[in-house]
Amino acid sequence: MPTITKAAQAEKFVVPIGPQHPALKEPGHFEFTVDGEVVTAASVRLGYAHRGIEKGAESRNWTQNQYLLERVCGICSHIHATAYCLGVEQLAEVEAPPRAQAIRVLLAELERVHSHLLWLGVAAHEAGFDTLFMYTWRDRETVMDLLEQISGNRVNYSVNTLGGVKFDITDPIAVDILEGLAFLEERTHHYLEVIENDLMFARRTRGIGIMPRAQAERLGVLGPTARASGVARDVRVDAPYAAYPDYPVNIILDNACDLEARFIVRVKELFEAYRISREILATLPEGDLVAKRMPRRIKPAETIMRVEAPRGELLYFIKSNGSESPERLHVRTPTICNMASVLTLTVGHNLADVPMILVGIDPCFSCNDRGVIVRSEQAAGDLWTWERLRQHGIDYYRR
Amino acid sequence: MINSEQALATAVSLLAPWAKKTDTPAAGRVDVTLEAEDLVTAVAALVDNQWGYLAAITGLDLGLEESALEVLYHFCEGAAVLTLRVRTPYSVASVPSVCGLIPSATFFERELHEMFGIEVVDTPNDDYLYLPETWPEGVFPLRKNYLVTSVEERCLIPLPGTETA
Repeated sequence: MPTITKAAQAEKFVVPIGPQHPALKEPGHFEFTVDGEVVTAASVRLGYAHRGIEKGAESRNWTQNQYLLERVCGICSHIHATAYCLGVEQLAEVEAPPRAQAIRVLLAELERVHSHLLWLGVAAHEAGFDTLFMYTWRDRETVMDLLEQISGNRVNYSVNTLGGVKFDITDPIAVDILEGLAFLEERTHHYLEVIENDLMFARRTRGIGIMPRAQAERLGVLGPTARASGVARDVRVDAPYAAYPDYPVNIILDNACDLEARFIVRVKELFEAYRISREILATLPEGDLVAKRMPRRIKPAETIMRVEAPRGELLYFIKSNGSESPERLHVRTPTICNMASVLTLTVGHNLADVPMILVGIDPCFSCNDRGVIVRSEQAAGDLWTWERLRQHGIDYYRR
Repeated sequence: MINSEQALATAVSLLAPWAKKTDTPAAGRVDVTLEAEDLVTAVAALVDNQWGYLAAITGLDLGLEESALEVLYHFCEGAAVLTLRVRTPYSVASVPSVCGLIPSATFFERELHEMFGIEVVDTPNDDYLYLPETWPEGVFPLRKNYLVTSVEERCLIPLPGTETA
């Protein structure tokens, strides 16, 4: 561990970082108070990508809102649209046909694959491990190509429609998907090996950012972040939706509670995603892609739809009022729940560990949005770019 | 696998001392209406008995006729969803904070405050979460009386160099 000079010890720095975040290309604002190298307090300011979607949904009709909600997030567009469509179908008492529900799940798992690979690359980049970043993003191209083949788009597949799906999985596409999955599975075995065995990487992740199970539960964390602390929460398992009752998910848990565990859980979820995708392709039910009838006006009611996004539980509260538009549409994304844990976890850690702890929750800025300030009680705030914070972490561990 | 019906029955009995009204809007869901002053005690009952986790806090504007807002606290236990409903009038829009029991509720309460103008008493942080610092005070975007400018109006803004005298 590097020695901290007396001068540095006496000084407390405000290091503001943001709103530019080069690695993720998303804006935001954290404030960290540091005493020498150690973080003593943290806070967050969001809002840079806030677009008034909930309000916008109130003046658009049920069909228009599909397109609006697909765009809450680029990385998890499909799961947002799925939650919305399932919720509205519940309100309208319409059921999408089994083939459509299975295709929804297939796309959701492929989206999970692209998202986890993207995250793996970004997390590696945060640690200065650019080789892993390049390989994961190269391999991710495989799933992006498959998604483009299915839907015509690499991002924002827009597969959902109210009552079902717009695109079918034909035999040739299924063959290509299976080939792609085989390649990705082989590559994923390699990633798991790297994460578990690379010593430099272990220094940045093993024993870092420990969040014991009780604390994880108290902080209300969700998704892989929670499961890496042994919290058995996964909406696909707890409250299976769409076709998940037919394709049950094995929950991936880890009891190490550290940053490394968050990596391992996501990588193992990739294996589960490959398995579920194969099973769906092998047993895809015959039938229609869309329900026959979807009303334009929906009678007054309220529904709560919970789904498992790549980052954790996504909750949609939708209230209808008899008209063509929702009375209220509330989107509660997983990252906002996990954000509190970052603020708590970073306190007591070195500033050098902050980028990795933040990336460990797989923050979706589009779903929220943020930046970083590091501050101290004495010195005036020093504005850091995220790049500087990231480099600080890399340099710190090189010593 | 936790049985939803049993879980919800447990919740309902825990909340019985303060429940004004209990409804079952759908299978696996229960709505319990409470007075604002009973909210913290009710949440404490759930937390002490480790019933589920706070999944979200939703604000609702019930409109001019009701002249009230409603705050929904969604707790999830497996597949079961329990929603505590608290009404508060426009005139004195206020609910107590649950952050003393559930610290992570702070983000939900900040959003509730800035979007609906509901004062969350004793919340640890009431800074804007999503709205910019330049947002006008007293303007609450998710209230029904805040109207979004229509797309057509925005299109009428003249492009630079095309303004007429």
